Amino acid sequence: MPLKWVFNWQPNAGSTVNSQILNEVSQCVESMNGVKEGRWKATLTFYKPMLRDQALAAEFPREFIGISLPEQPNKYYFILRGNKIVLEADSSIQLIMEKLQSYKSRVALNFEGFQYQLGDFQLRVGKVVPTHSENLRGIVMEVEYLPISSLEKSKQIVDEFVDIWQEAVSKRSLPGHFMHIEPSFSEYGLADHYTSQHTAVQYAHVMGQLIATVQAVQAGRN
Amino acid sequence: MLQQHQHQHHLQSVVAAAPNPSSSSTTSTTPSSITGEAPPKQVAQAMDRLGQAARLIADIRLGADRLLEALFVAAQPHQSSKPLHLFRQEDESMRQHLQDLRTVGKQLEESGVLNESLRSRSNSWGLHMPLVCPDCAVVAYAWKRQLAGQAGASAVDRTRLALKAFTDQKRRFFPHLNDEEDGESTDNVSKKHRNLPAQADDNQDNLSDCKTLSDLLTNLEKDMPNLKVMTYERLDWLKRASSLPAAANDNTMEAPKHNFHSSHILRAAPQNVVSMDKIAVIELFFPSVFRAVVSLHPAGSTDPDSVAFFSPDEGGSYMHSRGSSVYHVFRQITEHATVALQYFLGIRSKTALHSLLHWICSYQTLFTKVCNKCGRLLAMDRQSALILPPVHRPYRTFSASKVLSTQDQSSNAPEAYHISCFSDDAALALALYCNRLR
Repeated sequence: MPLKWVFNWQPNAGSTVNSQILNEVSQCVESMNGVKEGRWKATLTFYKPMLRDQALAAEFPREFIGISLPEQPNKYYFILRGNKIVLEADSSIQLIMEKLQSYKSRVALNFEGFQYQLGDFQLRVGKVVPTHSENLRGIVMEVEYLPISSLEKSKQIVDEFVDIWQEAVSKRSLPGHFMHIEPSFSEYGLADHYTSQHTAVQYAHVMGQLIATVQAVQAGRN
Repeated sequence: MLQQHQHQHHLQSVVAAAPNPSSSSTTSTTPSSITGEAPPKQVAQAMDRLGQAARLIADIRLGADRLLEALFVAAQPHQSSKPLHLFRQEDESMRQHLQDLRTVGKQLEESGVLNESLRSRSNSWGLHMPLVCPDCAVVAYAWKRQLAGQAGASAVDRTRLALKAFTDQKRRFFPHLNDEEDGESTDNVSKKHRNLPAQADDNQDNLSDCKTLSDLLTNLEKDMPNLKVMTYERLDWLKRASSLPAAANDNTMEAPKHNFHSSHILRAAPQNVVSMDKIAVIELFFPSVFRAVVSLHPAGSTDPDSVAFFSPDEGGSYMHSRGSSVYHVFRQITEHATVALQYFLGIRSKTALHSLLHWICSYQTLFTKVCNKCGRLLAMDRQSALILPPVHRPYRTFSASKVLSTQDQSSNAPEAYHISCFSDDAALALALYCNRLR
């Protein structure tokens, strides 16, 4: 499976994300001869355990995340960031959880937007919105280099592409930049060959960054 | 005289035949009158006329033979006036034949057979006049498929005949060309490339090691630690290509175990059972970088005839030495490799495979080596509007020893260029070379 990097839009201190930035980013992709291909959507859900005795809540991991990815319609991914665990399950697990009433969805977010093809690169630009609202919480971007799947061999290529991309974006003087922090995949027990589990881990980390940003903004306001 | 009767009869038949087509269409005047007739009839007439013409030509040939015979007989010592008589007869009949031929020819020209005037007419129901190709093959109907089929079939035949004739001629007049280890041809090659003496030396050095296919491949595997070389019969390669897992989903984690198992069997069997003289496909696999497929023709020889590059994760029956990858980067490399192959074959076809395989190995740094001109790994190619890594590795100044040093930083490492960086450089190099020549 080809290597994919997930980026998170980091707004500058004092500014927030808005749809104008999203438009500018999309235009930037098109100016690099990107061909719009279609829509994509991923979902991320925070679960909390349904317990009769709330005192036990402390024994459960604080962040239990479930992710669905567009390239794997039959799979569902669970991540425990604190324990560095990632699990790939069948998508019917959501139904099972509901029937068992074991975990309940606390917050659910959608990542959705358009997909572009730039030669051997595939780009996805998407907004982050809570499931039942249009409130833009963030912007994410995926960069994928299709011909090869080795993390080690693709690293340099994707690095340079990102440089080219960042240069193009910075010309538009937007209040912020795309940030990528590579999670340490080996800690999650993942190998050099890229898989959707790697993508799920990246999304969980992006979520962490988004939350941190929002909290920073709120702290700034207070 | 019997012959005269025959001739007259023939003349009569020709004359009788001749008015037939001309009566129904005034062929000597304008071609527009022909279009009053139904196209199938036109085609039939044209075919008739072509038949006539062929018969006339045969008669003329025969007449010429007879003339020569008459001359020969006349040259004999004790002959009467018989040869003279024969001669006169033949002369007459020949002239008549030639006249008839001229008439038929004119008719054919006017009806558009010997030129292409009728082909573009729209009211011809898709039929066109029979076409006489420039190399004298006759194609009766111009229904596209038939035309293509006949032209194709006749082209294949003609090519085969031409090739045979050429090979025969070559063998007769240039016997020394069959033997390429001749000192003469080497001298010519080294004279042409006076400014590249290193290349000739290299080739000479390695030539002694790489006489056979198995030697070549064994040495290659020894020199390149990351490389996996596998050989196949032609049909076995097709099986292998189809069994390769196609890119893109998580199931590739499990699937390779199965496929590896089956392809391992496929791989093991051919090499154990099949001898080197059936090898037709060489696969060069650099894990995580690329897979190259080289075809040998004829099987078991060291003569490569095509090469193609693919992603290490690609799979499918379209993966063969004349196939095309789904990824732009490997398509571009394949194009470049095809040109390089022709270059290696042209320079010195005995070592072409050796050079080609080593040159292919220089691509193991495809995703890590920066361009020698601009110093970057990725660049936007102006022509195709794609962002690509340096897909060009120069082949003109290529020498196998460069590839053996796998350290990217050494000055002897094979160079790499982006498409636009290379063509700029090549143009510059050519200009400098021309200046030096002056």
